[in-house]
Amino acid sequence: MFDNIISGFSSILAVGPILGIIAGVVIGITFGAIPGISAIMAIAIILPMTFYVDPIIGITMLLAVYKAGIYGGSISAILINTPGAAASFLTALDGHALTKAGKAGKALDMSLFASVSGEMLATLVLILVAAPISLISLQAGPIEKVFLLLFAFTVIGSMAGESIPRGLLSCCLGMLFAMVGMSTITGASRFTFGYTELMGGFTFTPMLIGILVMPEVFNVIRRRKVPHHEMTITHSPNPADNRISFKEYRSVFGTILKSSGIGTFVGALPGLGSSTAAFIAYGEAKRTAKKPEEYGKGSVEGIAAAESANNAVCGSSMIPMLTLSIPGDDVAALLMGAFLIHGLTPGPMIFFEHTETIYAIFAGFLITDLFLLGIARAGFKFFVKMASLRRYYIFPCVTVFAFTGAFTAGQNMDDILVLIAFTVMGYGMKLVGLNPAVFIIGFILTPFLEQNLDQAMSIVGTDYHLFFASPFSWVFIALSVFFVYSSMRVRSKTSKKAAPDIEKTA
Amino acid sequence: MDRRIIDIGLSTFLIIVSLIILTNDNLVEGGAESDLGSMFLPRVVAGLIILFAATIAIQSLRKLAQGSKPEGQEVIITNGFSGIFIYIGIFIVYWLVVPYVGFMVATPFIMISVALLLGGRNWVPIVATSLITPLLIYYGSREFLRVYLPTWTL
Repeated sequence: MFDNIISGFSSILAVGPILGIIAGVVIGITFGAIPGISAIMAIAIILPMTFYVDPIIGITMLLAVYKAGIYGGSISAILINTPGAAASFLTALDGHALTKAGKAGKALDMSLFASVSGEMLATLVLILVAAPISLISLQAGPIEKVFLLLFAFTVIGSMAGESIPRGLLSCCLGMLFAMVGMSTITGASRFTFGYTELMGGFTFTPMLIGILVMPEVFNVIRRRKVPHHEMTITHSPNPADNRISFKEYRSVFGTILKSSGIGTFVGALPGLGSSTAAFIAYGEAKRTAKKPEEYGKGSVEGIAAAESANNAVCGSSMIPMLTLSIPGDDVAALLMGAFLIHGLTPGPMIFFEHTETIYAIFAGFLITDLFLLGIARAGFKFFVKMASLRRYYIFPCVTVFAFTGAFTAGQNMDDILVLIAFTVMGYGMKLVGLNPAVFIIGFILTPFLEQNLDQAMSIVGTDYHLFFASPFSWVFIALSVFFVYSSMRVRSKTSKKAAPDIEKTA
Repeated sequence: MDRRIIDIGLSTFLIIVSLIILTNDNLVEGGAESDLGSMFLPRVVAGLIILFAATIAIQSLRKLAQGSKPEGQEVIITNGFSGIFIYIGIFIVYWLVVPYVGFMVATPFIMISVALLLGGRNWVPIVATSLITPLLIYYGSREFLRVYLPTWTL
């Protein structure tokens, strides 16, 4: 493995990949810091631009956008109390309190150091754990893979949706849309209604941009009359308030380690995501803190806990994707699409078929953290200025990038129609509580399910009991039941807890 | 707007579509024989859609029958929807005109329209951005990505 890691570093330390990482970090921080643009939006817009470069450059650039975008979200959270993503909500609580006290520099520094520490630890776990897990998952045949995929659908659908039926319905709709066009197994054309344009199915990139990115633009347009907030870094006359000293960093290092561990674990489980990780880590840090009363009122430790946990998810969410072909969240689903477009099929075989590429990507992951640290630290003022641009400069550009990105995929105007249709559908799904990210996961995984199911049917013939002969099958059935049951319990507890609160406020 | 009413309408629509998938054999054409069959998985998924859509519809119907007021996520706030419709209109116009007038001509007008929609009135920077951005994208796509964006065909 160490030979592979060294070879990965030698591949990544070249002009192309390094420029890709630098561009990715700059784009990621800028986009992440702009309120209304999330990391996922930045990745989807950049994705078409990576089609024509080497996968090592393209994928590392996208991963750099992802990591930097997650960190960038904390800038707007700290400076104007507008979390770019739900995961930055807790950072906004403590970070904005520090900004109001004139200590924005301290909050931004802590957020950066905690983010980079969390990401690095999770990336190390990814590098050390992914290959051994892939060895185990290689033992799985088509029957086991069918149960694994059903487990993935059930868990993601039940954990990620607004309610279990809505999450699972989103997944089923994604599955249904994936089956439009020519079947890869039988060659039959399904749901094409005589339109030859539908034979190839829906083009992935325009659909992705439409369903995940453009609804965010709709949200900005809806809120277009909300006044614009200018971002400024408040400075204290005391220099110690404008930065984090090594002593301060050391004092919260234990919290960072613990929170990174929580983030890594939560990120490796499909369907939970960075917000859950941040909330659990923040709660745990507060529970064990010496001064829990400071949390929410400008605690540096609070920022460290939330940021290290939500950034640790970046690395560990790759574990299920790379070892089991299961994207754990929306960003992982998008990245899985990017891997597929670049000719890399995520799954255990990736470690054997594309060893050099995958370890180069891992090395790129680690190097991105160093660049993120250097670039973010050097360019705070630049990123704040960029993120302060008014929305009528940013969103016309986003519109054109979305159009170009959709067109680039197949150089076909029909893809723009796909983009428009899925934009409306994605926004509509959000309005009725369906989850577009789960829809995408269902869309991506269905071809794998159908292929494995067909192979499994060939193996078992008419002896259907053979489906349940492997212990793996039972393990995944039990895990699916467990996740659905625990999700139902958590939801009923949350609603019971919320009911008295509503009564109180009434 | 009460989302529960939309839930019932949408669920009904999905159930009807799923029933068509379950019963209509003309939705698939050609293809080789396989153990699974081309319509096996679509029909399983259609069955599941009926199940989940019916669950959502029944829950909403029950709440409506009880006469309870919509709360939290059950209320769809429609403020600002006019802007969304205008934006969709702008995008459709963009899609329609680009094949005729080309990317370079259509894009500045579209960018200015979106900027106006978002309340932009600083004409000089808006016009400058609207002219420079398509130029950069057009030549960037052509030189670096080898993607040729549509040109004037009239």
